[in-house]
Amino acid sequence: MIDFIQNSLDGVMAGSAYGLLAIGFTLIFGVMRRLNLSYGPSIMLGAFVGTMLYLQYQSGALIVAAATVAGAVIAGMYVERLCFWAIRQGAAVASMVSSFVIWMQLEEIVTIFFPERTYAFPPLTTAEPLLFGPFFLKVENLIMFAAAVALTVALHVVLYRTRFGLKVRAVSENPLAARFMGINIGSVMFWAFALASGIGGVAAYLIVGADAQVTPMFGLWATFKGLIAMMLGGMGSIPGAILGGLLLGIVEAQTVWYLGAEYRDLAAYFLLFLFLIFRPGGIMGQVMAARETAAARRV
Amino acid sequence: MLEVSDIFTAYGKIEALRGVDLTVDEGAITCLLGPNGAGKTTLMLTIAGILKPRQGSVRFRDKEMVGLSPTRIVAGGIALVPENRLVFAHMTTRENLIAGAYLRLSKSKGAVEADIQRMFQRFPRLEERSEQLAGTLSGGEQQMLAVARALMAQPKLLLMDEPSLGLAPLIVEEIFNIIRELHADGTTIFLVEQNAHMALKVAQHFYLLDQGRVTFSGTPGQVAEDEVIQRAYLGSGGSD
Repeated sequence: MIDFIQNSLDGVMAGSAYGLLAIGFTLIFGVMRRLNLSYGPSIMLGAFVGTMLYLQYQSGALIVAAATVAGAVIAGMYVERLCFWAIRQGAAVASMVSSFVIWMQLEEIVTIFFPERTYAFPPLTTAEPLLFGPFFLKVENLIMFAAAVALTVALHVVLYRTRFGLKVRAVSENPLAARFMGINIGSVMFWAFALASGIGGVAAYLIVGADAQVTPMFGLWATFKGLIAMMLGGMGSIPGAILGGLLLGIVEAQTVWYLGAEYRDLAAYFLLFLFLIFRPGGIMGQVMAARETAAARRV
Repeated sequence: MLEVSDIFTAYGKIEALRGVDLTVDEGAITCLLGPNGAGKTTLMLTIAGILKPRQGSVRFRDKEMVGLSPTRIVAGGIALVPENRLVFAHMTTRENLIAGAYLRLSKSKGAVEADIQRMFQRFPRLEERSEQLAGTLSGGEQQMLAVARALMAQPKLLLMDEPSLGLAPLIVEEIFNIIRELHADGTTIFLVEQNAHMALKVAQHFYLLDQGRVTFSGTPGQVAEDEVIQRAYLGSGGSD
């Protein structure tokens, strides 16, 4: 029992990072109805900008974090202009394929400049794990969890209490109606992308910092975790992204403990498989579908 | 107030508007009737700046509108109540109204709030539903919301695309009463409708559009209503 709770605690904290990744995918999918396969690689590039500053100039944590976020945002803007804005008249699949190509490009660029398999990254903390009764809590996981919660709350405030958030939600709902209000949807898509990339940059900093090392494989890893978490939660739902991330984290943690680390990814895919068969809309799928039907019946 | 001259708008190779000329007078209700596929919505989208015409001009208060972005056109005083309402279903009624005033939000939130109160006074049902998600409103309420949302932009010209579409007759009466009230308040209205009967009761001037061209221009008194309705629904080409 204690093991189960310990694993769940670990899983929730890891899952909060997955949730952040899923939120990034969800924001872009919500605004553009298109999947961005370059999301993981672009935030990985941000992490490598951060590690470069750390290794070359021994920069402090704050500067590395800022550089990671900035690198992710700039890479994200590059992807948005090239793969999404430029092809906005085309089929959604064209953007997805184009973003897949840029994924390859970004990974190649990073491996040219960073040919080693792994590079050091400033650790989130050097503190020892905390002991709460029978439970161990690694401080870096706690930091990751707290930051993820704070970021999610901040995002909620932005989306529901600012003029910019109103624009984003309007365009996500109905781009044509948004244009009738005088909203410039090109600008909204660009900045929503930048916001999603910024969130991803923070997620990258937290995850790579908890590990204290970064590899070019991080892009692929982040893509899988983020996409799976998003699909588990229900595509297009931000609460779903968080719940999907938490579920993925908990299932992975329990699997590693009871079955072994080699089964972790298998368990993640199996979980996704189960959802696709029995509940393809994800955790929030039925909630969203019910609202769609109610809305469709009226309009 | 609005002069449309020789507008040609096409979707790729399909010519939807082939030389449309019409005028909307200030303070009047002008109506555009026509059968399905005549190009009425295409014309609305062209005036709103969503579609770019291949040729022709749209002058609003003596300024050329063709080539301007929809943002500039809304800022210039034209607002559209879209076909099928297109309310933001997952946003509340109140948020929909705020969205309508989007371009004014950075300047003065107080004025926007005052306008929302005014909308609630004019449409009390919207106030009742102010925190409800717009997608759960009835068809008539959504139409009211779409009209109120467009009014939030404080337009000099209100474009309405088929406001009676899909609504029960009693609700249609309500909507047209609202249109009459707006007219009495001095709002200039350009109304596209398939319901020729209701439209002719409120319009000061009307046009018939058929296959991308204006085929008739006149006042409701000039032509017998039956003839108008026949041409509006069946088109002057006729399918005899």
